Amino acid sequence: MTGSEGSNRETWRAAWTLSRTEWRTTIRNVRSNTRQVVGFAVIGLMVIGFPLSLWEQTTGFGRDVAAGTLPIGTVAASYLGVAFAGGYVGFVGGFNQSRVGVVGPLIRTSIPPTAVSIGRFVTRTVEGFAGIVPAGFVLLVGVGVGAGNPLVPAIIGLGAVPILGAGVIAGRLVGDVARYGNERLRMSLWVRAGLFLGLTIAVFVGTQAVLTPILEEGNMFGPVSIGAILPGAPIQAYASLVLVPLGATGGELGVVVAVVLVIVVAVGFVTAIHLETLLLVRDVGGDSATGRVEGTHGVPWLLDVTRSGRIAWRYLLRTRRDPRTLAHLTPVLFGALGMTGTALEDPHRLLSIGPPAAVIAGAILAGGAYCLNPLGDDREQLPLLFSSTSSVAPLLRGRMLAGIVLGLVVGLGVGIPLALLEHDPTFIVGQSVLAVVLAVASTGIALGLGAAVPKFERREYMNVERAHPSLAVTIVFFMGGILVGAIGFVLLWVALTETLLGGVLFLLGYTAVLGLVAAGGYWYAIRRFRALSLDGM
Amino acid sequence: MTDDASAIAASGLTKRYGRTVAIDGLNLDVPDGIVYGFLGPNGAGKTTTMRLLTGLIEPTTGDGFVDGVHCTDRASLVEHIGLLPEEPPLYRELTGREQLHFAADLRGIPWEQLEERALDIAESLALEGDLDRRIDGYSKGMKQKTAFIQAVQHDPAVVFLDEPTAGLDPRAAKTLRELIVDLASAETTVFLSTHILPVVEEIADRVGVLYDGRLVSEGSPDGLAAGSEDGEADLEDAFLELTADPERAWQ
Repeated sequence: MTGSEGSNRETWRAAWTLSRTEWRTTIRNVRSNTRQVVGFAVIGLMVIGFPLSLWEQTTGFGRDVAAGTLPIGTVAASYLGVAFAGGYVGFVGGFNQSRVGVVGPLIRTSIPPTAVSIGRFVTRTVEGFAGIVPAGFVLLVGVGVGAGNPLVPAIIGLGAVPILGAGVIAGRLVGDVARYGNERLRMSLWVRAGLFLGLTIAVFVGTQAVLTPILEEGNMFGPVSIGAILPGAPIQAYASLVLVPLGATGGELGVVVAVVLVIVVAVGFVTAIHLETLLLVRDVGGDSATGRVEGTHGVPWLLDVTRSGRIAWRYLLRTRRDPRTLAHLTPVLFGALGMTGTALEDPHRLLSIGPPAAVIAGAILAGGAYCLNPLGDDREQLPLLFSSTSSVAPLLRGRMLAGIVLGLVVGLGVGIPLALLEHDPTFIVGQSVLAVVLAVASTGIALGLGAAVPKFERREYMNVERAHPSLAVTIVFFMGGILVGAIGFVLLWVALTETLLGGVLFLLGYTAVLGLVAAGGYWYAIRRFRALSLDGM
Repeated sequence: MTDDASAIAASGLTKRYGRTVAIDGLNLDVPDGIVYGFLGPNGAGKTTTMRLLTGLIEPTTGDGFVDGVHCTDRASLVEHIGLLPEEPPLYRELTGREQLHFAADLRGIPWEQLEERALDIAESLALEGDLDRRIDGYSKGMKQKTAFIQAVQHDPAVVFLDEPTAGLDPRAAKTLRELIVDLASAETTVFLSTHILPVVEEIADRVGVLYDGRLVSEGSPDGLAAGSEDGEADLEDAFLELTADPERAWQ
């Protein structure tokens, strides 16, 4: 055995040790927390449930294949989906490299950097596959049941492997490059947040533009050619090659694509590992070197009146300096994009649904920003908080106030200008009052939810490691916020267009109910956190 | 309530985590206006004791009083204490000055009342020029200094300091020791937990040694040192003996 072989073996052994340990810690972390176990169980059910909801289509597909009809277009479209899924897993793994966290220095000084890169690659990829492979397996089972033999799903499944691998590698390289650019350019955090938002919207809009015509034709699962939406010839040629054992005719292009896929996987893996090792060794950039603002800012007079106001200002200041304090709202952003997408089909809708959407988004922002995990968010500062203030109430009110300020910037700042173009002054006044009511109520309700399901454990989400609010609570709050806000606008519409007295009475009742629930949330949060100690974490 | 002369008093203070006994029937009586050095090896329960006495966690059994207030009465306790925990509790996005303002706001004390004292301490610690920089750009020592000012700027009756000189350069560490002595001179009781025995030897009026959750010895630094087997007046030897053979100490 040469020295190089020994060194390679040592590198792979170290990488395996790292991966195995990270998986073990991840599993132990999940198992030690009942809520996480339940959360994973729910996600697992969704992963299995989604392909099961397509059972009819997948078994129909299998029957077509067994009957001699080879739906090459559908297989190619599925492979494209597999490539995108792999690309997503790869991108996330490449972009989020802070995972090693506190043990990073130990790992970096204990095993070769290449082993760290390989270990991270394998860990993140396998973890990402945990959400894809089971779903794919269920889909293939459906195909097998429809076809009446296991050969069909086995062939299609094997054919998907190079596609998945190439997707992962390509995504990983893009993620690595994005991370390198992100760290190298040292842009301010707000510029980065803006770029991220712009990129997300561009991807969303692009996907809408591509998929909408297909979905409207209703033949997503039919034997369609995907050439209409993407240059699909190569991937269809590859699908034909994969289906040769089932009677399809393979062509030269299919062979070329297969060879290219294998090369992409091999060369891409080596390139990604080299690149990541280089970045690891050079330790380019880093959060501490970016966007540091110097200078103390006094509290604006409007917030300087009360203790809660001054506390609120600190939260707003922290967010202004580091938008990652709102990283937990990313799912809300993605959800909002879905609604925004409907405006793409008819820009005029922006003026009709825009004002209510801005008010509802403002209300969700008000509660979601600082109240969904009120004390978990201050995890590191709890010794200061507990030993400084006799009641958590001023702190919680400070969080509410900060959220209300942010929420009204959107609810009134965006909602009113949009409403001015389409609506009469009465509606604008009504909408503005509703915006305030919703924003205030939202913070109280969010406090209650955050107090019911506090999260103190740190975890990485959107490349930000801190005690994020519960994802389930965030989503429930978001969906509930849309519903409650929509009801408010319906009542406002009734009051202004149908029956003024009845509508106003309903609105008053609506406000009273919201006020009671919000006050209940605030009261519950104070009760719950008054008794909180470090024992409860 | 407890003896008026006691700044800190504990009686049978016990903290259990499942089957693990972190603090086992601790009895303490710390008079007003002294520096009390709290020693013990890693895992002895020093931090747990400080957390119990400052109301961050609740005792399983027993009582603790700080300035006459029961340690579970957190609402009243906060008016009497200041705390510098092992990890400085600071918001990295704020500047040092904003952090101190924030701490004042938490206590509901106008900053103007604390400003002179806080800035004097900052000047002593050579931090004044950095107060308008963001904390995420601070060194470990600068964070420690900021957290120290935060703990004492409101002039509490009892200050709990957990390894206050950690991360400080020799000059800053010396200044901090002098500030601690000044605090005691001004009738503030300082409960000082540290591993650095020369610090305790230099500034503590009284020393308690904790081992395995139990107080195995207590007395003046000189008295403890004189009790070491080799007869040399050395607190380090006494500490090593006590924590190597606690049974002898308990006897």
